[in-house]
Amino acid sequence: MAAVKQTVEHVASLEKYKHGFVTDIDQEFAPKGLNADIVRFISAKKDEPEWMLQWRLEAFERWLALEEPDWAKVSFPRIDYQDSYYYAAPKTKEGPKSLDEVDPDLLETYKKLGIPLKEQEVLAGVQGAPRYAVDAVFDSVSVVTTFKKELAQAGVIFCPMSEAIREHGDLVRRYLGSVVPVSDNYFACLNSAVFSDGSFVYVPPGVRCPMELSTYFRINAENSGQFERTLIIADAGAYVSYLEGCTAPMRDENQLHAAVVELVALDDAEIKYSTVQNWYPGDPETGKGGIYNFVTKRADCRGDRSKVSWTQVETGSSITWKYPSCVLRGNESSGEFYSIAITNGRQQADTGTKMIHLGANTRSRIISKGISAGKSSNTYRGLVSAHPKARGARNFTQCDSLLIGKHCAAHTVPYIEARNGQAVFEHEATTTRLSEDQLFYAMQRGLSQEEAVQLLVNGFVKDVLQELPMEFAVEAQKLVAISLEGSVG
Amino acid sequence: MSVASAIKTGDAAELPGKRDEDWRWTDLRGLIRQVPPDSAPAAAVGAGPFDGAAEEIVVIANGEGAAHIGVDPHGDRTVALRIVSRGDGSHAARVSIDVEADGRLTLLESYEGEGSYLSQTGLVFSLGVGAQVERVVLAADDAEGVTVSEAEVQLAAEASFGQTVITGGARRQRLQTTVRHPGGHANLRLDGVYLLADKRHADLTTVVTHEGLDGVTEQLAKGVVRDQARGVFQGRIVVAEGADRTDARMGHHALILSDRAEVDARPELEIYADDVSCAHGNTVGRLDEDALFYARQRGMPDDVARALLTEAFVGEVVERIGHEPARDIAAAWVAERLRGG
Amino acid sequence: MLSVKDLHAEVDGKEILKGLSLEVPAGEVHAIMGPNGAGKSTLSYVLTGRQGYDVTSGKVTFEGEDLLALEPDERAAKGVFLSFQYPLEIPGVPALTFIRTALNAQRKARGEPEVSAPEFLKLARAKAGELKIDFDMLKRALNVGFSGGEKKRMEILQMAMLSPRFLILDETDSGLDIDALRIVADGVNALRSPDRAMLVITHYQRLLDYIRPDRVHVLSAGRIVASGGPELALELEREGYDKYARAAA
Ligand SMILES: Nc1ncnc2c1ncn2[C@@H]1O[C@H](COP(=O)(O)OP(=O)(O)OP(=O)(O)O)[C@@H](O)[C@H]1O
Ligand SMILES: [Mg+2]
Repeated sequence: MAAVKQTVEHVASLEKYKHGFVTDIDQEFAPKGLNADIVRFISAKKDEPEWMLQWRLEAFERWLALEEPDWAKVSFPRIDYQDSYYYAAPKTKEGPKSLDEVDPDLLETYKKLGIPLKEQEVLAGVQGAPRYAVDAVFDSVSVVTTFKKELAQAGVIFCPMSEAIREHGDLVRRYLGSVVPVSDNYFACLNSAVFSDGSFVYVPPGVRCPMELSTYFRINAENSGQFERTLIIADAGAYVSYLEGCTAPMRDENQLHAAVVELVALDDAEIKYSTVQNWYPGDPETGKGGIYNFVTKRADCRGDRSKVSWTQVETGSSITWKYPSCVLRGNESSGEFYSIAITNGRQQADTGTKMIHLGANTRSRIISKGISAGKSSNTYRGLVSAHPKARGARNFTQCDSLLIGKHCAAHTVPYIEARNGQAVFEHEATTTRLSEDQLFYAMQRGLSQEEAVQLLVNGFVKDVLQELPMEFAVEAQKLVAISLEGSVG
Repeated sequence: MSVASAIKTGDAAELPGKRDEDWRWTDLRGLIRQVPPDSAPAAAVGAGPFDGAAEEIVVIANGEGAAHIGVDPHGDRTVALRIVSRGDGSHAARVSIDVEADGRLTLLESYEGEGSYLSQTGLVFSLGVGAQVERVVLAADDAEGVTVSEAEVQLAAEASFGQTVITGGARRQRLQTTVRHPGGHANLRLDGVYLLADKRHADLTTVVTHEGLDGVTEQLAKGVVRDQARGVFQGRIVVAEGADRTDARMGHHALILSDRAEVDARPELEIYADDVSCAHGNTVGRLDEDALFYARQRGMPDDVARALLTEAFVGEVVERIGHEPARDIAAAWVAERLRGG
Repeated sequence: MLSVKDLHAEVDGKEILKGLSLEVPAGEVHAIMGPNGAGKSTLSYVLTGRQGYDVTSGKVTFEGEDLLALEPDERAAKGVFLSFQYPLEIPGVPALTFIRTALNAQRKARGEPEVSAPEFLKLARAKAGELKIDFDMLKRALNVGFSGGEKKRMEILQMAMLSPRFLILDETDSGLDIDALRIVADGVNALRSPDRAMLVITHYQRLLDYIRPDRVHVLSAGRIVASGGPELALELEREGYDKYARAAA
């Protein structure tokens, strides 16, 4: 019960969406709208080599020919792609060389964010702070990366994507777009044309990354889209755990976030990728504002016995459209997807995963917990497929939905394609509401209704929470609490 | 756009294809370049599988035949409905089935095909308050035939509709049932079995929409595929806002017995009410190794043990047929298919 | 009748049997006792040919013939019967159907004619009566929804009907009430004969009061670490496995 009490106390101390402030610092924008010149502008701003510019322009050409998808169970007014900024950066002369050079206002912003609490200390270099390296992305630009030297000693490259393009061009060229091809989908294609920054990680053969890596994303500027691009490569036998956190200020206008994340795991490599997504969800009554979160995340388990595990806690955004996936190409490779998706107010989430079994004896495991409250809609959409060569493929999927309130919706849409007789797929799904009996039981023991809901919800999502690294699990548990505030009663 | 209108207009572009989300695994558009000409009237149709089990026999051959089956209030009928396809043409038929309040109908429906036809049958079931219908479908199509059967069922309060569809597939075959479920303690059972060999294909698709309080839906579908066959199961359960206390359970389980067979499944829940209990389970795979060892330890050779366990696997669905003569006929048909394969 | 020599076997790459040797002459009943996880069930699965139990070295002969070369059903047809520690549920297959299929398969393998349906039913009724099993239970799917004790009795019923020549009872006594224990023991004793042999795995002396063993072996950490007469079981009951666990380590 101690944990519960702690959670409840935390919940009481947190307001609804505490990240809804705007940082007042000079921003530099590219002109509104999208055309080939904007793409050139972004590339030039970043001092990119010619091959990168060509790559972007090609993506832009292809994007013009694509149509916005409409199959997800979400609805929103058409996005005017010409009414957005595609590049916004805090004005500084050069990239900061050390923390001292970072705009104090910016550091103040991180302080205010609170989540993840520890990163602020890390950024500030506080003694005894947890040792994990952070890359902070403010609107489109990477502001600071910590622990660079120490990582370099281990041979790990962890830097902003823009820097990687300049300094590790061959690695980037080799892997960028190799997991999510340029024209994979509408939003990925847009991202390929206009992405401005993001993180790059390379872990050399046999190296176990000495600390957790973390990127912290924040959208600040008005009417700006954020298009980060993340690329993580774990070479043979390498291991890395990577965390991603997101917030955005409250606005009346919807802002677009269309990121692409590519993971490559070679033989015996392992990548653990965790996300706590807490973008502004929009006004709970009107649904106004909030982030459109259209993200393409995919891992290529290219090597034999490689392993990728996605864990996500999705509580923010007005619309989420995201399917972190694994292509299980290597023999005996394995993929995992652990997800908590919470929608409240007018939020809409359509999220899930794809596990594509190509290699022999590949394994995958999906645990999805969806909670819908208010007038929100929450859809799990997933694909598990085994190709004829994926002999001995195995999948286990558990997909549970919890409904809180009369006006929300929960959908489960799994696609299962088994193309050989040696594959074994198991899928279970349930949709229920919070049990009155359990609520009563908890309240009889003295918990308030809110506390009782807390307790039961924590139980419901426990299997996923425990997959998160410790530091994040605590934050995530609080987030779950905040997201559901006011949903019962 | 529908199969019926494609047959009517002769325009293959009207056929649904893999770009239509609900037909992605049963692509007719890509299969049929040209709609075959209208079928000529069928010659002799011989005997049907349920002849001995029914009091009346209704035959629809190549789209021609009676189009209405009615049951008066408190009436009780057992009807064999034979949908016969002969030759290489295309044909469509519509049948409406009205069962009035407290009436009972046992409908023993068979699809009997010879040739490379394109056939569509639309059935519209309407049940009055307290009406009871059991529908048993045996689909024995030709390996070259293409069949689409689309049934729409409107339930009333206290009514019950129990269905078991058993199919051996066709070149391409879709057996679809759409049910509007008003709740009110109406009961729905939607079972299915597909047993596919060679290059056969079968698609069992169901959509159930719960529109009122206290609805029950129970669904169990099982499939066994071998060779290069392909089985498709799509089951969607929708619970509309306000349809509280709905209890819906869906299970689909398939065995793939060869390296090149395929099973595609989409068990879907679409829930807009909170006081519900809905669940689905889906498994695709092989026979349970432990059960197999147990049977072999008792002396059964591998093939005997497999046959026994496979028959039992499917038997769980067949046993749920209420009408005893129909159950026996179905069980015999299933056993023959499994042993023949 | 059964001869096991220096048997090594592994499960999932982990060695469980580590040089086990055992001789069970025809007409004798041997008991095997040993701590949890010692490898008793593993031995029973290796003897019956379960997949995933890989013999890495050693020899097992049954009446002079290499047992390990045979398929599970071939071993069964030779008369090797295992009463499972955890009998499986077989959904959709009535117990009667299951047993008849097994019986006829064994007869066929031995070149004997099938038993007719009436003959089989008569036999089933008689054996069920002896074991105090409600005949209607035999019409239900085998073991599905049966209680632990009912499952064990169903194992003995199958044994009685298949009349095997080498019986392995893996903790058949656990989960049985006192009456059931006696009934089961009677069933087993009825099969005692000069051309049959038995391996009785158990944790309790109680069963051995009913089924008197000729020899008692202690299996610990994958090997037989001690053997003796019936008095060894009594000693174990008093003193536990401590001294043998140390001997094995
Ligand atoms: N699949 C497996 N993978 C790894 N170890 C296994 C596996 N199956 C069994 N074992 C181990 O093998 C050992 C022997 O197990 P076994 O079941 O033979 O014990 P036992 O002597 O029958 O015990 P009990 O008295 O509890 O029935 C145990 O340590 C068990 O954990
Ligand atoms: Mg044991």
